[in-house]
Amino acid sequence: MFRKILSLCLAVMMVAGLALAASGCTSGAGTGTADKDFKLGVILLHDESSTYDKNFIVAVEEAQKALGLSNSQVILKKGIPEGNECYEAAKDLVAEGCKVIFADSFGHEDYMIKAAKEFKDVQFCHATGTKAHTEKLDNYHNAFASIYEGRYLAGIAAGLKLKAMMEADSTIVPKIGYVGAFTYAEVISGYSSFYLGVKEIVPEVTMDVQFTGSWYDETLERNAANALINGGCVLISQHADSMGAPSACEDKGVPNVSYNGSTASTCPNTFIVSSRIDWAPYVKYICEQTMNGKKIDTDWTGTIGTGSVKLTELGSKAPAEGTQAIIDQYKAELVAGTRHVFDTSKFTVGGQNLTSYMADVDTDAAYTPDTEVVKDGYFHESEFRSAPYFDLKIDGITRLNENFG
Amino acid sequence: MAQPEELTFFALELKGISKAFGTIRANSNVDLELRHGEILALLGENGSGKTTLMNMVAGIYYPDDGQIFVDGEEVVIRSPKDAYKHKIGMIHQHFKLVDLFTAAENIVLGVNDGSRYDIREVNERVRELCVRYGFNIDPKEKIHEMSVSQKQTVEILKVLYRGAEILILDEPTAVLTPQETANLFSVLRNMKKDGKSIIIITHKLHEVLSISDRVAVLRKGEHIATVETSQTTEGMLTEMMVGKKITLNIDRTEPHDTVERLRVEGLCGVNADGLTALDDVSFTAYGGEILGIAGIAGSGQRELLEAIAGIYGPTAGTVTYRDPKDGAEVNLRKKTPLQIRELGVRLSFVPEDRLGMGLVGSMDITDNVMLRSYRSGRLMLLNRQDPKKLAEEIVKELEVATPSLRTPVRRLSGGNVQKVLVGREIASAPALLMAAYPVRGLDINSSYAIYNLLNQQKERGVAVIFVGEDLDVLLALCDRIMVLNSGRVTGIVDARTVTKEDVGYLMTKSHDGAAKEGFISEGGGEK
Amino acid sequence: MKQRKHNEQAHEPLVHITKNAAMPFWKSSLIRVAAVVLAFLFCSLLAAVLINAKPVEFLQEFLKGNFGTNPMSANLRIWNLVKDTAILLCIALAVTPAFRMRFWNIGAEGQVLVSALASAAVVFYFGKYFDNVSSGWLLLLMLIASIAAGMIWAIIPAIFKALWNTNETLFTLMMNYVATFFVAYCLVKWTPDGSSVLGELKAGYLPRVGHDYLLLVLIILITTVFMFVYLYYSKHGYEISVVGESQRTACYIGINVKKVIVRTMALSGALCGLTGFLLVSALDHSVTTTSVGGRGFTAIIVSWLAKFNPFLMIISAFLLVFLSKGASQLATTFRVSFAFPDIVTGIVIFFVIGCEFFIRYKVHFRFARKRAGAREAAGAAAGTQGAPGELPAEAEGKAAVIPDKGGKLK
Repeated sequence: MFRKILSLCLAVMMVAGLALAASGCTSGAGTGTADKDFKLGVILLHDESSTYDKNFIVAVEEAQKALGLSNSQVILKKGIPEGNECYEAAKDLVAEGCKVIFADSFGHEDYMIKAAKEFKDVQFCHATGTKAHTEKLDNYHNAFASIYEGRYLAGIAAGLKLKAMMEADSTIVPKIGYVGAFTYAEVISGYSSFYLGVKEIVPEVTMDVQFTGSWYDETLERNAANALINGGCVLISQHADSMGAPSACEDKGVPNVSYNGSTASTCPNTFIVSSRIDWAPYVKYICEQTMNGKKIDTDWTGTIGTGSVKLTELGSKAPAEGTQAIIDQYKAELVAGTRHVFDTSKFTVGGQNLTSYMADVDTDAAYTPDTEVVKDGYFHESEFRSAPYFDLKIDGITRLNENFG
Repeated sequence: MAQPEELTFFALELKGISKAFGTIRANSNVDLELRHGEILALLGENGSGKTTLMNMVAGIYYPDDGQIFVDGEEVVIRSPKDAYKHKIGMIHQHFKLVDLFTAAENIVLGVNDGSRYDIREVNERVRELCVRYGFNIDPKEKIHEMSVSQKQTVEILKVLYRGAEILILDEPTAVLTPQETANLFSVLRNMKKDGKSIIIITHKLHEVLSISDRVAVLRKGEHIATVETSQTTEGMLTEMMVGKKITLNIDRTEPHDTVERLRVEGLCGVNADGLTALDDVSFTAYGGEILGIAGIAGSGQRELLEAIAGIYGPTAGTVTYRDPKDGAEVNLRKKTPLQIRELGVRLSFVPEDRLGMGLVGSMDITDNVMLRSYRSGRLMLLNRQDPKKLAEEIVKELEVATPSLRTPVRRLSGGNVQKVLVGREIASAPALLMAAYPVRGLDINSSYAIYNLLNQQKERGVAVIFVGEDLDVLLALCDRIMVLNSGRVTGIVDARTVTKEDVGYLMTKSHDGAAKEGFISEGGGEK
Repeated sequence: MKQRKHNEQAHEPLVHITKNAAMPFWKSSLIRVAAVVLAFLFCSLLAAVLINAKPVEFLQEFLKGNFGTNPMSANLRIWNLVKDTAILLCIALAVTPAFRMRFWNIGAEGQVLVSALASAAVVFYFGKYFDNVSSGWLLLLMLIASIAAGMIWAIIPAIFKALWNTNETLFTLMMNYVATFFVAYCLVKWTPDGSSVLGELKAGYLPRVGHDYLLLVLIILITTVFMFVYLYYSKHGYEISVVGESQRTACYIGINVKKVIVRTMALSGALCGLTGFLLVSALDHSVTTTSVGGRGFTAIIVSWLAKFNPFLMIISAFLLVFLSKGASQLATTFRVSFAFPDIVTGIVIFFVIGCEFFIRYKVHFRFARKRAGAREAAGAAAGTQGAPGELPAEAEGKAAVIPDKGGKLK
C-alpha cells in the first residue's frame, strides 16, 4: 500500500513537473495601468452565498476594476473562520506578496493584529473592528461607515410616507416597528438614527423594537415583523439579513424600509428605500494609499459624503410623492455639516436633553466608559472610532425585549 | 395417463433446481410439481432446503441451475415483483408489515398497477376478499394493534390482493395457537375451493395429514418423493423425512466410571418474543458419557445450552454443577460466563453459531484461540506467545487447512473453522463440554475428526452434551438421547436401543400425544 | 403431455453480482490507487468544463495550494499541510476506537468543541493568575479540563446506549448541537460588548519547539503510535474488536459489553479532549462555535478510509487535507465559489469508497459470461484479468446497458 501510494505520488509529481515546465511560456495576461507588483489580499468569512460577504466581494471587484488590477493581483480567500485560520491566511497572503490585506469579519480582528505585529511592512485593514486606535500599530487600521446617516435619510423617507398615510386616514396612530438582530451599539445606533429621521417629519411618532437574537433567521424575523404589525405598527424597518421582515410586510401591505440592498423586486408594493454600506471607496482608498506610499487612516469612517453610505433607488409604489427631493435636501445638509443626526436638541433621554455622555470607545472587557462624545450640541457617533458606540435609550422608542445572543 | 387434469399443465413445475451457498448445497436437482387447485405440503427437517426452494420461486433467490414453469411456460423470476407477475405469492415466516399503517395500507403498499391510489376502494376490495375466504380482519385496523394470527392474515391478503393464484406459506402454523391453526386451515380450504394452488411448508406431520392433498418430502436438499396424502401414514412420512438408518463407523465405547457432573432441574425460559422456549426441563449429565439432544431446530436447544453457560437467563429452575475434584456443588444459574469461570467451573461450549458467537470471523486463528485466555497476565498488553503456540498445536493436531495462522477464520472452510473452535474449547481441559451442531456443514472427514474428539473427551471422563440434527449420528455417537419438543423434554432414551423413527416421532408429535411418551421410554425398541 | 414452451430469452439476469473471494493485498491496493487517479482525472475534466481550467492548470493549482508558490509560501503551506493533517488525524484517532466497536459515534465535532471550550474557560478564568504564557501548570489544568469535558460529552450517549440501547448515532449528533449552543452561550457570557467574539486569549500557549507546529505534530504522532499499540496489542483493544464484531461472542466469553462501550467512548472522548486542548493551546488561543469546522465529521471518513488502522489514517488524512487545500487554491485562482473544494473532495471520496464494491464483489454480465464461456472453450486460460480489476467490468457494463444492439454488434 505504502509503495503504491508512493509511486502514485511520484507519478503525479512528474506529470506536474512537466506541466509546470510547459506552462512557463503561457504567462503574461495583460495588466492595467497600475503597479504590477502591487497585490491586495482579502480575507472573507464566507463566500458569495452570504449577503454580508457578497457585499464585500462586489466592492472589491468594483475597486479592482477601477484601479485596473488583474485577477492575480487581487487574491480573495473565502471561507476563513474567525480563528487561527485567519492568521494563517494573512501570513499566506503576505507570502504571496500582498501589500495590503483586508479582512471583513469582526472576529478576524485579533488575528489580523497578530499578523500585523509580525509583518511590519504590510498594511492590515479590518472592517468593523474596534481596536486599531488602542493598538497603535502603524500598519493596522480599522474601518466602518456612518451608516446611521443612511438610516436617518431612510427614516426621512419613512416619515414622509407616514405623514402621507396619516393625511389619508386620520385614525392612524403614528407608531412604527423595528426588527433588530442583537441589542448591540451597532443596532441601537441604527434604529435610533432611523427613528430620528422619521421624527423629523412626524414629531409625535413612537417606535417599538423587537430583537431576534440572530443575524439571519427568516422565521424569527418574519414572526417579529408580524408581531409588530399586530401590535399596531403601521410601518416596519429592520436590521437583520434575511427577507423575513420585508416579505412579512409585503404580505400584510405594510410599508417597509429595508437594509443592505433593495428588496423592490420581491416587495414591489411596500418597499420604500434601503440603505447600505458600499465598501468600494475604502478598498480603493487603501490600495491607492499603499501604492503611493502614503499612510492609511487608523480609523477610517466612510460617510455619505465619501460614497460609502448609500441609499438605493426609491420603491416604485410605496414612497410618498416628492420624497427624493426632500432626501436630497437633507443629504446635502448632512454632507455640509449643517445638520447632525444625533443633534441633542432633537431627542431626550429619560425626559432630559443630553449634555454629556461617556461612551465605551476603547474596547475592554469591563465595558468602561472612557470618552466624552457629546460636544457642540450633538453626539459624535463614529468619530472617535469608526465602529458605532451610540447605545442610549432615547425617549419614544420601546424595546419590547433585549437579546444579546 | 388419460385423466383430464393431465392434459393441462401444472400450476407450477420445478425442473432440476439447484442452489448452493458457498460450499453448502441447499438444493440439488429438485423436481416439484404443483397441480391446479391442490394443497401440497412441503415436508422436511430444518435445513432440508424447503424454504430456500420456495424462495427461488418467490424471487428472493435466483437458482444456480434448473427451470421454473408456470402453466407450462418457462419463466424467469428475479424478484418478488416477477413472482407476482406470474401470480405467485409467498407468505414468509417473518412478517414484513409497517406497524403504523392499517391493514389496507399495508396490503396496497408497493402495488403499482397504474391506477390512482384510493384507500376507500382498497378497503372495499379487502373486505370483499375477507368475505370470500372467511378472514376476520378490519382493513382499517392498524398492524400494531393486531395479534400474530391477524398479521399473518394481512400477509395472506397482501398476496391475494395482488392476484396470486399460487400461494406459498412458510411454516404458517409455527406462530399460531391450535385454534388459530384450525381457522387458517379452513381459510386454506376455501381458497382451494376457489381454485388457488397452495404450497404449505411444514415439519409437523399431523398438520400435513389434516390439510394437504399431496406431500413432497425434501431431505438434505434433495427431493425424496411426492405422495398422495390419503395413501400415506405418519410412519412413512417420518421415514422419508429422516431417511433409512445408515450405519456409521463411530467407535463408541461403553461408558465407565460415570459420575454426576451436571444436574438441571425445572428449567423454564422465554425467548426474545416472550414465547416459551424452555418448559420445565430436567436432566442429568454424567462425566464419561455423551448425552445427545435431539429435536427440530428451535425446540429450545440453544436456550438450554446458553442457560447452562450463563449467557441466557432462564426464568426458573436450577443448574447444578458438581466439581470433579471435591464433589462440591454450585448453582450456575444467575451467574455470568465470567463468574462461572472464576468459580473454577471447567465448562466448555461449542455454540451453534460458530462465527457469530464462538469465534470472531475477522480475527486470525491466534486471536481466536486467545478468546478464552486473553485476560491472563497482569499487563495491559496482550500476550500472544502462548496462544500462538496453542494455535500451532491445534492446526497441527486437528489438521486445520489454513494458509497461515494470520488468516482470518472467516476465510477458512466450515470444517476448519469448527476445528479451531472445538480445538480451543477442548484445550482448556473441560469437565463439561457442550457442543451444538458441531458437524453442521462439514464434510465426512471433518465430521469424523470431530466425533473422535468428542469420544476422546468422553474417555477422559468429560461430561459431553451433544446437540445434533442428524439422527444417524446421534444414534451412533451418543450414550443417551434427550428429545426436546417445543421446549419440553419428550423423552430421554438409550441411544443403543432406540430406533430412528421413535426419536423422529418424539421430535414431531404434538403435545396432546403425551400418552405416547411412556411407550417410548419404556420400550424404545418395540417397533 | 403437451410440449412445454421454453423461454430462450433469459435464463440468467442481465447483471449478476457475486461475492469476491479474498483479493491479494497488492491487487486491492492497486484498485484503490487507480480509483484515486481516476477521481483526479474526472475532477480535472469537471474543472475544465465548469470553470474553464485546463487539466495542466488543475494540477498546477493543486500543487501550489499544498506546496506553495515561492520559498516563503512553501514553508508556510507545507507546514500548514502537515499541521492540518495532524489535527484531522488526531480527531480520526479519537473516533476510531468507538468505530472498531461498531459504535457509530458521530459526535466528535461536539466533543472536540466542548473540550476546546473547557480549555478556553480555564484560560479565561484562571489565565490571569499565571505570569508565564506557557505555564506548565496552566497547560496541565487546561489539558485535564479538556479531557474531562470530552469524556463527559462522549460518556453520556455511551451510558444511554449501554443501559437503554438508545441510538448512538442520533444521540451523538444531537450532542453536537448542544455543544455548539453551549459554546455560543458561554461566548455571550464572556463578551459583555455583545459581540460574542472572544478574541485571542493571552495565556496558555503550548511552548514553541523548533517550529510553531512541531510540538503539536509530535504529540499527535506519539498519540498515533499509542493508539496503534492500544488497538492491536492491548487487552482493551482486543475486547473492542470482539465487541465490534459480535456482541454475542463477547457475551459468550464473558466480556462485559456495557463496560467496554462506556470505557471505549471515554477514551474516544479523552482523545477528542486532547484535540480540543491542542486547538486552543497551540493554534486558536480562542474558541468560537466553528472552532472545529466540520473536522469532527471529516475525521470519520479518514478513519473509515483507513479501515480504522491508525497508521493508514496518516495517508487518508493527508489525502483529504491535500484535496481540500489544492481545490481551495483552484477556487481562489479561478474565483469560483467555495463549494468547489467540497465537490472535488466529495468526488474523490465517492470514487475511493465506490472502488470497495469492485474489491468485494464481482459483477457478471449475462452475455459477458457467454463470451467468457466461449473463450474458455477456445482454450484461453481464464483468470488473467488485466491490472485494475474493475476496468474490464466497467467497459462491459457500458456495452451491457444496451444488450440487443451490443449483442448484434459482437
